[in-house]
Amino acid sequence: MNPRLPFALIAISCLLIMLLAAGFAPEHLAEKVPELKWAGPAGLPPFGADDGGRALLDYAMQGARVVAVPSLIAGLVVAGFATLGGVLRAMGVGWLDRMLQAGGEVVGALPRMVVVLVVALVVPDEWRGLLPLAVTWALLSAPGAMDEAAAVAERLGGSRFVEALRAHGYSARRVYLYHIVALNLRPVVVRQAAEVMMQVVFLEIGLSYIAEEENQADFTHPANLKSWANLLKLGYASLVVDVPSGHALALGVALIGVVAVMSLALGRAVSAR
Amino acid sequence: MKQWWLRPAVRIGAALLLPVVVPAIITLLLWALPGDPVSIICPEELCTGGAALAEKWNLDRGPLHFYGSWLGGAIGGDFGATWRWQAGTPIAGLMAESTPTTLALLGFALVSVGLGTVVGASQRLPRRALAVAQVVGLVPGIVLALAGAAWIELTYGAASFVGPAAWARLLVGAGVIGLADGALSGAVSGTDGLFRAESRQRYVGIAILRGERVLSNTLPNVTPALAGQLRARTLHLLSGAVIVEAVVGIDGLGDLLLRGALHQDFGLVLASATAFAVFSSVLLLGQAAVEIATAVIVRRAPPGVLGGP
Repeated sequence: MNPRLPFALIAISCLLIMLLAAGFAPEHLAEKVPELKWAGPAGLPPFGADDGGRALLDYAMQGARVVAVPSLIAGLVVAGFATLGGVLRAMGVGWLDRMLQAGGEVVGALPRMVVVLVVALVVPDEWRGLLPLAVTWALLSAPGAMDEAAAVAERLGGSRFVEALRAHGYSARRVYLYHIVALNLRPVVVRQAAEVMMQVVFLEIGLSYIAEEENQADFTHPANLKSWANLLKLGYASLVVDVPSGHALALGVALIGVVAVMSLALGRAVSAR
Repeated sequence: MKQWWLRPAVRIGAALLLPVVVPAIITLLLWALPGDPVSIICPEELCTGGAALAEKWNLDRGPLHFYGSWLGGAIGGDFGATWRWQAGTPIAGLMAESTPTTLALLGFALVSVGLGTVVGASQRLPRRALAVAQVVGLVPGIVLALAGAAWIELTYGAASFVGPAAWARLLVGAGVIGLADGALSGAVSGTDGLFRAESRQRYVGIAILRGERVLSNTLPNVTPALAGQLRARTLHLLSGAVIVEAVVGIDGLGDLLLRGALHQDFGLVLASATAFAVFSSVLLLGQAAVEIATAVIVRRAPPGVLGGP
């Protein structure tokens, strides 16, 4: 059996679960059911209930809806830039390569969170959501990903590698798309994309948690949706006061774990032979 | 490389521009938003006297005038006052309180990264230990910060922000940003990879045959890259500090920026983002200084070698 297959299956399963949960997430939480207040997983399967007796399953699905598409798009943006960085190095377009490097230095000079918060502040209300922040995060992560992909292309031999393959009679399209991108850049490109997807999910949770704590409008999602940060917020109470909300905390942490496992598995699934 | 000065020159240029460009961009964005900037401080449906406020905050004569007066004030240490969060509070006072806290937080967190760098450079860390560090590094800052905040709340109380509690918050925060999001594991594996790749160079093999040590040969050549990694990691820590400060309850610059963004307080965001730009500039200057020093040392070739005297 291909040793990478289990990782691929894990990654695809996690991704599918997240996308399905996002697709079937309810628009609003259900009505409160006081008699199910803080019901555990046995009382209201599969995850239990919140302080209003509403199913935590809805929280989990709505949270998936908040993060699924923006994190995927962020991953694709980074993958695109990383591929571009690798291909440009392989093409040997020195001036463009240098310009991109200099641009990357400037883009990467500020802490990412500072830029994200400034973007969050200036995004018009009608565009508010995770997507602009996720794309910003992806753009800020792109220089690093491009650098790594370019280093891979350089180790291959850069433009000399392309020349050698062309001399063997392969078409330019096959050389770039198959030999360089699919065979050699793939591990770096997919791993970087998976990492950025994970970071975007964590960014959303962090920002939502603090907005919730401060009783302010969320940067990342409309008021009718709940983030996975709400699960952590509910569950945090079980750590410091006598509130039986440990199941919410466990679910929040487990969802974070699923995202981390998905990212790791995706990276391992496409690792170089 | 013939033009060894190019990279440090670009960094110095960027370092000089950042503290000027960052507030300029925020100012432009403020004016690019739909509606009048004055309506942000004083929404028409909620308050009157917008014109007077606009004059008071230099918003009445366009972005250039606002930027010029804000920058002039900032150079003299006057960052204006908050617009919406604790409206009217002088920002310079808030910055004076929060900047040392963030620097202390960063300093403590850098201990972990520095340790990781030393361990990575020694290349003696077993692969399994690195794998464990990488798994710990996968835990997001928010989860570790919540655990830390809970511990502080149980030990010192929720409203404890002075004395030992303040120190505990600082140390817990530093521990979180030094460990979470791959800070420590990245330092170890990044440095380890750098030294491992350099050790495979032909000149190192020759040096070993001559009875020289590996580290003394590789260090001058990896120092610029090491400085680059350290700058990137410090930026990463600063980025992480924003969320961690807010969750753990540390009154730092990141917390100030986050509150500014949450309360749509442009005055506060402008000042705190500029402070972060100044931090970034200092880091860029530091990296440029290392690059210049290394270039000078490496280029001081023995007589007869590389065109030396």
